Amino acid sequence: MIDSAAEVHPEDRAANPYSSVVAAHPQPFYARLRDECPVAAMEGMPEGVHIISRYEDVKFALKHHEIFSSDFVAVDIGQDRPLIPLQIDPPEHAHYRRVMDPHLSAKELAHLEADARRLVNEVVDRFIDRGECDFHAEFSMPLPCLVFLSLTGLPLGELDRFLTWKDNIIRPETFDMDEAAAIRRQTGADMYAFFEDAIDQRAANGTDDIISRFMKTEVDGRLMSRDEMLDLCYLFILGGLDTVTATLDCSIAYLAQHPDHRRELVDDPSLIPNAVEELLRMQTPVMQVLRVVARPHRMHGVEMKPGDHAVVMLGSADTDPGEFGADADLVNLHREANRHLAFGGGPHRCLGSHLARLELRVALEVLHERIPDYRIAAGADLEYSPGIREIKSLPLVFA
Amino acid sequence: MKVRLDDELCVGHGRCYALAPDVFDADDQGHCVLRFDDEDLPERFVDVAKQAVANCPEDALAMEG
Repeated sequence: MIDSAAEVHPEDRAANPYSSVVAAHPQPFYARLRDECPVAAMEGMPEGVHIISRYEDVKFALKHHEIFSSDFVAVDIGQDRPLIPLQIDPPEHAHYRRVMDPHLSAKELAHLEADARRLVNEVVDRFIDRGECDFHAEFSMPLPCLVFLSLTGLPLGELDRFLTWKDNIIRPETFDMDEAAAIRRQTGADMYAFFEDAIDQRAANGTDDIISRFMKTEVDGRLMSRDEMLDLCYLFILGGLDTVTATLDCSIAYLAQHPDHRRELVDDPSLIPNAVEELLRMQTPVMQVLRVVARPHRMHGVEMKPGDHAVVMLGSADTDPGEFGADADLVNLHREANRHLAFGGGPHRCLGSHLARLELRVALEVLHERIPDYRIAAGADLEYSPGIREIKSLPLVFA
Repeated sequence: MKVRLDDELCVGHGRCYALAPDVFDADDQGHCVLRFDDEDLPERFVDVAKQAVANCPEDALAMEG
């Protein structure tokens, strides 16, 4: 196996986090980054991109939005406007979060648990008798989308359409930049049109789903505008689907290869909430978040200028022994202190984190109850995608 | 022993009320609310409170006394 540490080049103070070697096994890459160049340049890119990797530095960047801003549309993902609240800074950001957070709080989502459990069971029903599955295609991909459709009161039959949209936006099937941009724009237009309809329907006859509730929500003493509603739907698809898919892929691939840990969860399901956090920490499926430098800042002797970009390596922070101790690189289902940043931190802390946690917990509970013993099919080569660590195909065999 | 909360720092990770629901509650937004604000914690909750404090990613919580 090629060691991902080879993707760090301390002599040039450069690194390439977006290789498949890093995505598959990022821990050696992270360790070398933290130890040998805590602020690295992006290999093969012009100056002005800074990779931040130590826990304390990552936390600082997440907290200090006045230096590391999210206020940019640098990432063209087919959206018409900056995505609220993801691409807006405080103080305006806080107005949105104040009204959005309650709809996605742990308390508010508790009522969704029964639905989520039913959906997980239905997904498992489709393959359990076969004694094998492609976990990625048959579980990790559909589940978050089905939960999203259930939460938004949209027909579950829209599953395929949503999965196609999500793929078009996040990883369009082309290497041509212009073509990719065109696919994203077209998909964006289709999605806006679809949600225009959904919003119209709810305006005509109110239902009790999260879109209807947002339509009645006031921001700064006024109802949310149509554009804001659309932006929000866009954000849900972008933020809520692939991230949970990647977390499920990474978590189950780990447990399939570590039967002792899996057996612990089967024997004592009360460990599952802790396991969810520990796997989020160790795997950190969203490897990094991006910020733009708003004020001159110096970090480990590197000058950052306004307009520069910062690649804030959450995964590296989450395996930093400076924070997590000597066993930072090992999964410990009984870890006592776990201040992981897999959902980011600071004002932009993942809006959907409580929904994600619910999905992950219920998924691990049902899976280990119904399929206590599974392993990766012989000869399977797991290919992780960089950035958001999905596994393209995850063939499992049940015992 | 008391728990102290800096609510300027809390962003609603919700680790505290997940780990120690007897000690921490959530407001509408999902931010931390102390159940024993400015009061000594009952002895039986001290250990679980300490664990919750150690799991706050924003350093918004501290034990005191």
